Amino acid sequence: MNPEQSFNVQIWQAFIVFFSAIFTQNILLIYFLGLCSFVGVSKQLKTAVGLGMAVIFVMTSTCAINWFVYHYVLVPLHLEFYRFIIFIIIIAAFVQFIEMVIDRYSPVLYHNLGIFLPLITVNCAILGAVLFMVIREYTFIVSVGFGLGSGIGWFLAIMAMAGIRERLANDRIPRGLQGPGITLVIAGLMALAFIGFTGVLQQ
Amino acid sequence: MKESPETQKLEKILRSTKISAFGFMGTDPRSLSEIISSDLTDIRELGITIAKIVSRMKEITAKAEPALGSSIKIDNKLDVRIDEAKGRIICPWPHPASFPIRITYVENPQTGEKIQWTDLNIHLIEEHNFFEGKGSPYRIEPKELAKIIF
Amino acid sequence: MIITLIISVLIVSAIGAALAFVLVLSEKKFNDYGQCKININEEKELIVTGGKNLLSALGEEKIFIPSACGGRGTCGLCKLKVLEGGGSVLPTEEPFLDKAEIASNMRLSCQVKVRNDLKIFIPPELFAIREYNCKCVEITDLTYDIKQFRFELVDPSNINFIPGQFMQFLTPVYDTNTEETYRAYSISSDPADKNHIELIIRLVPNGICTTYCFKYLKIGDPVRLNGPYGLFRLTDTDAPIVFIAGGSGMAPIKCMLHHMKNTNNKRKATYYFGANKLKDLCCVDLMHQFEKELANFRFVPSVAATEPGETWAGVKGLVTNAINDDLQDASNSEAYLCGSPGMIDAVIKLLRQKGIDEKNIFYDKFE
Repeated sequence: MNPEQSFNVQIWQAFIVFFSAIFTQNILLIYFLGLCSFVGVSKQLKTAVGLGMAVIFVMTSTCAINWFVYHYVLVPLHLEFYRFIIFIIIIAAFVQFIEMVIDRYSPVLYHNLGIFLPLITVNCAILGAVLFMVIREYTFIVSVGFGLGSGIGWFLAIMAMAGIRERLANDRIPRGLQGPGITLVIAGLMALAFIGFTGVLQQ
Repeated sequence: MKESPETQKLEKILRSTKISAFGFMGTDPRSLSEIISSDLTDIRELGITIAKIVSRMKEITAKAEPALGSSIKIDNKLDVRIDEAKGRIICPWPHPASFPIRITYVENPQTGEKIQWTDLNIHLIEEHNFFEGKGSPYRIEPKELAKIIF
Repeated sequence: MIITLIISVLIVSAIGAALAFVLVLSEKKFNDYGQCKININEEKELIVTGGKNLLSALGEEKIFIPSACGGRGTCGLCKLKVLEGGGSVLPTEEPFLDKAEIASNMRLSCQVKVRNDLKIFIPPELFAIREYNCKCVEITDLTYDIKQFRFELVDPSNINFIPGQFMQFLTPVYDTNTEETYRAYSISSDPADKNHIELIIRLVPNGICTTYCFKYLKIGDPVRLNGPYGLFRLTDTDAPIVFIAGGSGMAPIKCMLHHMKNTNNKRKATYYFGANKLKDLCCVDLMHQFEKELANFRFVPSVAATEPGETWAGVKGLVTNAINDDLQDASNSEAYLCGSPGMIDAVIKLLRQKGIDEKNIFYDKFE
């Protein structure tokens, strides 16, 4: 296989992984990762979109960075078992760094996105995506596609949930189910719907 | 559950004495969402709605307006007086809303029960379902309010 | 085994330290905005350390922009024009600015961060605002809930203001009040007395500032005022004047009357003072004094309700009734109102029925 062909294959594979991460393998609705902020910040569409955008951005970039760190630092040093700690501190440092850069160069973006960035430093979906990327032995291009797809999948899910919850705000809900209760029920129904995508894409 | 930074900021403003002396939360140790949901439960138990309470409060204040600060009898049972002071008070929520500093004093002379509210109180109840924390001088107990005005 | 352990711990620590180092370096780089120049109205240039918001940067240089929320972006009062260097409008400002304001580069100064050289425009009357360190020299009871406070200006020792303007009073930290707060009060003193300022303040139940003034402020205490603010003022015409104000709303009217006396103004003027009860009447003797000293001034107090046992020989009823009965041929008059929005709205309606053009009705709504 010549390098160019392998590049094309990789792009094609990244494309498939991208779509499967959004639909058939949705990180939130199939793997139930990042549920804390999903339940906590889905009351309003506006804030949900802000958080979702932040997740897309951070997930894509941390997948890319951690791919390099894993393959060029941890593997050569035989420190793969340290990946949990390393990935977490890299994600945390990266988010801090990005926050400073955005604050300096784009105040508008900072006000839209900035307050959500610290919130998702500890979001397990971010770490989950990075670990999946390692376990599934993705190449760099595929990893970026996977990170982007997972982020968009998370974004879609929280946006849908916020939309539903905004509609529900004026409805009468049994007292015991109000708040997180009904949200988890809805999340379950949404997950069932997403399972319907299974088999559409072959990985 | 973790509170979003916006909610945290709001609670900080509500507890500060920047906008209103003693703050909006008074000495209430509960969080904003706890206060709101407990008051909403009270209202549901009374079988009324926020909309009904607010429209009745607005109606009473409007009926007392023509007296320009003197006491007036409305609906043949309540003594109502409006007192206005200089300045405007802003809503602590992050949206542009400000109100004259105007207090409506309502008394039922037969029972001796009294209650008071400001224009900001009406807005806080209508828009944010917030009756203020216990210990705040402008806290309104939903049950007492309903008993006097209905 | 132990060597592997030590090496791996060292490597992880090294990675952590390297990341921390990068963060510290970048924080230094990104948060250092250096010295920034702020050009105001092409007249004055300030040099401030970048990184803070424009409102507080100006405040440190003793330029006061009105603000009620203390820079939290919730009151929308601290608007000014940022002509150059302000960047784009932030989502936190959008609710407070309309399209025309955005087009004219209007911004909320508490939300604009000073990150580079700025060129801003502040209306000249705001630019003239100073902070005055004063001493409280006299407290007079006007009624049971209204007091007049007299302050001697210490630094600066002189003030020029237009009768009708107001000052902001800085309430210090006291008792349960944990933050400094500004509140606005109209000036009631004689504008010729440039070394003193008098404010008429009514006790607001649980009010932050009025509680301080009534319960804590003592003669000899230092007080900080800033101002003057406001556009409420007498016109230069000869039209007959109708003054309408009750309670502490008397302050700017009293100030205008002093000024009319000083300038020997012969305009016809009538002052309708509405009190709810007899005990709400104040400064009656002073007003009768003005009636003697001013060529064409008449004071018409009215009382809405008397308590049993009290007698009141003057006009009975609301101030609107008094105006309705007393004011004849008002079509060419100018009206000056100060008081609660409820009273002002009711009076404006009445004055229009009496034929006064709305553009000749000036008011200082308690706002």
